Amino acid sequence: MKLKTPLGGAFGRSKPGTHHLGPIQTIDLNEMRRYADDDAVDYVVVGVGSAGGVLCQRLARAGFRVVGLEAGPFWDTERDWVSDEAGSHRLYWNDLRITGGSDPLALGANNCGRGVGGGSVHWASFTPRLHPSDFEVRTRDGVGVDWPISYADLKPYYELLELEMPVAGPAYFPWGDPHGYAFGPHPLGGVGGTLVEGCTALGIEVSAGGPVAILSGSRGDRPHCIYRGFCIQGCKVGAKASTLITHVPDAIASGAEIRPHSMAARLVMGTGNRVEGVEYVDRDGNRHTQRARAVIVSGYAIETPRLLLNSACAGHEDGLANSSGTVGRYLMAQVGNVVMGRFDEPVRMYKAPPAHAMTEAFYETDPRNDFARGFAVQTVGPLPIAFSNQMMAARGAWGWGLRREMMDYNHWAPLGVLGEILPWPDNRVALADETDQWGLRVPHVSFNLRDNDRKISKAGTAKVTEILEAAGATETFDESRFAHLVGACRMGDDPATSVVDRYGRTHDVSNLFVCDGSVMPTQGSANPGLTIQALAARTADYLISQGVTVFMSDRRDMTPPPVRRDLSPPGTHRGVPRLANR
Amino acid sequence: MDTSPCTNGPDTRPLDPATGAPRPRTDQPGYYAGFSTMAQKAFWDDATRAVVEQRVHDVSPVTFFSDAEARLMQVLCDHLLPQGDRTPERRIPILNHVDERLAAGRIPGYRFASMPPDGDAYRLGFEALGRMAQAATGCDFLGLDWDTQEVLLEALHDGRPWPGAEDVWERMPVQRWWALVMGDVAAAYYAHPWAWDEIGFGGPAYPRGYTRLRGGEPEPWEAEERRVAWAAPRGALSDPEGQAPAQNRTGTH
Repeated sequence: MKLKTPLGGAFGRSKPGTHHLGPIQTIDLNEMRRYADDDAVDYVVVGVGSAGGVLCQRLARAGFRVVGLEAGPFWDTERDWVSDEAGSHRLYWNDLRITGGSDPLALGANNCGRGVGGGSVHWASFTPRLHPSDFEVRTRDGVGVDWPISYADLKPYYELLELEMPVAGPAYFPWGDPHGYAFGPHPLGGVGGTLVEGCTALGIEVSAGGPVAILSGSRGDRPHCIYRGFCIQGCKVGAKASTLITHVPDAIASGAEIRPHSMAARLVMGTGNRVEGVEYVDRDGNRHTQRARAVIVSGYAIETPRLLLNSACAGHEDGLANSSGTVGRYLMAQVGNVVMGRFDEPVRMYKAPPAHAMTEAFYETDPRNDFARGFAVQTVGPLPIAFSNQMMAARGAWGWGLRREMMDYNHWAPLGVLGEILPWPDNRVALADETDQWGLRVPHVSFNLRDNDRKISKAGTAKVTEILEAAGATETFDESRFAHLVGACRMGDDPATSVVDRYGRTHDVSNLFVCDGSVMPTQGSANPGLTIQALAARTADYLISQGVTVFMSDRRDMTPPPVRRDLSPPGTHRGVPRLANR
Repeated sequence: MDTSPCTNGPDTRPLDPATGAPRPRTDQPGYYAGFSTMAQKAFWDDATRAVVEQRVHDVSPVTFFSDAEARLMQVLCDHLLPQGDRTPERRIPILNHVDERLAAGRIPGYRFASMPPDGDAYRLGFEALGRMAQAATGCDFLGLDWDTQEVLLEALHDGRPWPGAEDVWERMPVQRWWALVMGDVAAAYYAHPWAWDEIGFGGPAYPRGYTRLRGGEPEPWEAEERRVAWAAPRGALSDPEGQAPAQNRTGTH
């Protein structure tokens, strides 16, 4: 059978000012509310990514006057995004950063987004929760640090965000705090099938078809997944959740302004040790200062500490909110080793979302191991350029040998280790002497593995190799790499050892907040995206509960806020009875 | 003007392992004869089609590299990602794509602390190639015969550069330089739809999507794999597992 005519053909072009957010949903930015720079809005959110998108939506819906400053563009998914690996370069944060230390991190496409939606535009969208144990690793295992909050504090927000994105996954997810998903799991691709077969042969529990923030059935104005495999190049389909399509439209409908091409340069301090605005650079290089009654920095684990450090001023000579000296420190990435297994029969790893099956059977500390904490195992799906890089890095392939290896692209099934790396003070973001195109000092990122980290990396790789062999792989190899970024502005109760309190308020400046992955004190072996959005919803509830107090006084009320289940974007399902979702 | 007695070069073809004879040149190497991603472009969205068509039909001229640098880089491309099995009109213009990235100043969002900026790194590496060749043979890199160039490059791949440019490799680790150049070259090749055809990658699939997810099965518009045995040309050091039998590996340094 041959299909001769295009199905559906090309979708419609957007009218000026109107942006496609997926093939069906559109937004007219001409209608968006605008604020003048000198109009002191309630909140400026710096960075409209995973956290910033949720914050803008919640705060605007609650009636605050909100401006979201975003360094990158406001995407039109039909015009700007492509089903093409090399053509998706613009989705990533590509400005210069210097990366060093004994185990330097790859940045950019590996872990940093730019443009409205931020990293949630190009995440693979695995959405596991942290385990209850992750919040108390110091108490339990004597490593890292305890969080100032517990799993119970975050659980209601996990439940909310899983429905708002929403997350597709199995009816029963057995690890951590066992739970189920309201939206059905995805069919398995070749790589997921390999993981399930290998785990089944070894008696390892496995989660098939999720949890991922990808629609398994159409919902509202978002179509379901078409299994084209370009998740990390931006989902043109609109099936994969990004805050660009899940929360930003409601933020704008609720009166927030999302201002693209606005690169924050400096936080501006006013009188009384309070921040009074954000200086930013527009796309033409002009400097502006947006005035605000409070500021939330949501620039992620590198740009957030960079902005605080670049905002050093009288009284804050070492950087803003840095009296503890911890801004930029305790940066974490996760072990992201990829193990490739070769199979005699073709796999075609490029079909289906890269993220669609996983196991957390090795997540918790096991006294039989010679290390604390653990790792997860997840499907990945490198496209040809990424795969060629793995062949070069792990097997030294070049020349005719690389041509030969690549001709076998369809025979390999790749599985990823996602392993916990503990927080260390010298894993940090500092400022380099070099400056960027705006004259701002660029970040210098230093990363060094310790003994426990290396042992997790090794054990994870060994276990994944075992799984691939149990699934029938005739040959395996592995590439050492890293995934994700969190930390560098960690939360804590002690102002001497942390940057922000349990709600994200900086210890040093009472109307300055940080809310993104950088506040995480430890990271577990879970992909951080869901936790980042859940933390944002929780910080939003706190700010809403505090009302104008944040703008008027330095009083710190640490009373837990009520959970606002009425602030979800329109059309959010209430879930299913088995979730006991009230 | 090539006066070297070496018979290998950018046009050297892989061999039939059974006979040891060069295999015929083809428009489409690999194991998916007849599969064409570009033949499916009517099923792609406008933006994707524009990006991929530009890559194929609108190759930008070399502007970053000088003429001399471009000649050297072309030879590097022919060693690092040889295309002698392809008909000349179906070779992927790797040099132009790498040059375009460097000319546009596109970086991946970071630079290793141990490395100079990418463009400087290329030029430093070129300088090192010349000095290593000079120290060993008295002529520059392009003056070496093809097989000797291959030996010198294999030494860089192995992290054991020839003497003559120690100060360069102190300024930037040879492994990082190799990964930079090799990464750029491979990214240019495997970004191209002709390379997708070669490896059986389905390419863009929006708005149509994929339907046959398991068992490695092709879509109705993809092709089944039909494997073909081939061996790297004699003198090629990059494919130790794919050598024709009864071959004498030459040119060890």
